[in-house]
Amino acid sequence: MKSNIAFIIPVYNEAQVIGNVVNRVLKKYEYVVCVNDGSTDSSADEIEKTKAYLVNHPINMGQGAALQTGIDFALTNKNIKYFVTYDADGQHQIEDVDNMLSYISKHGDVDIILGSRFLGSAVNIRPLKKIILKLAVKFSNASTGIKLTDTHNGLRVFNRKVAEGLQLKMADFAHASEIIDRIAEKTWAYKELPVTIVYSDYSTGKGQSMINAINIGFDILLRKIIGK
Amino acid sequence: MIQFILIVALAFLAISLVKSRNTSKTKAYKKLLLLLFIPCAIIVVLFPDIATRAANILGVGRGADLLLYGVTVVLIFVLFNTYIKDIENQNRTVVLARKIAIIEAREKYKI
Repeated sequence: MKSNIAFIIPVYNEAQVIGNVVNRVLKKYEYVVCVNDGSTDSSADEIEKTKAYLVNHPINMGQGAALQTGIDFALTNKNIKYFVTYDADGQHQIEDVDNMLSYISKHGDVDIILGSRFLGSAVNIRPLKKIILKLAVKFSNASTGIKLTDTHNGLRVFNRKVAEGLQLKMADFAHASEIIDRIAEKTWAYKELPVTIVYSDYSTGKGQSMINAINIGFDILLRKIIGK
Repeated sequence: MIQFILIVALAFLAISLVKSRNTSKTKAYKKLLLLLFIPCAIIVVLFPDIATRAANILGVGRGADLLLYGVTVVLIFVLFNTYIKDIENQNRTVVLARKIAIIEAREKYKI
């Protein structure tokens, strides 16, 4: 049991699976923060049944806001050395986290580790999703100068310096790009490690509708122009 | 002539959007413009010919067309302004709601 590691799990209407996902994490790691982002189902109750911390957003604000809330909450515990962002729908593998954590603790110069399903594997990924994710990678690599193989992976491990410096402003799904912007801006040392993402019928149905990529792209561009 | 004016207006619009900070200065300008607009509107309502004559000077056929161009520029300006304000308000709400969430949780877990 490692008590200096915080899992941050943003939760929005995941009542079906969240209990299992959290309990699987809790078998190995004791500090888990679930941020319930204004779910309209019984996600909060399911989290209450586990030993995880539950932080409730009064309204739904998006995954970026939920991550930032979870990070802020975990930062209040001074023992936490590493922060893990983890998706609520069960598509990440806990073994990948073990691997990332052992890497970051061995390499003190690395500030943040990003999971990459394209270095690892994406099981049952839909072809359209793959195309859009690859396009997002190209777009991001060209606009930030940070070269990655997977820019929209929810699995990340980072140290306290990054947790304090992130300060995510984009409440919605644009936060993935914002994190990369921040890495570039603050010149944090980053590393990508392979992870496996398993798409189930559940996670595919729940995930971002691909058309939303247009919303996200538009938002990112516009906010870059007007600087907000 | 009208093309020139419209392009200048749109360029100005773009610049003001990029630099839009809601300072008291920009608010004052908006109020001045509004004050200027009212007497102009009254005059044009009373003497519709003026609009047509102004349109002819600018190389536009009818006064109604000139009005349409003007309204279009203003409408775009208002829409973008509202959009930016909306983003600002959203950001404020997020900060507030996140604070509430953390305060509640810290109380609950006594940390």
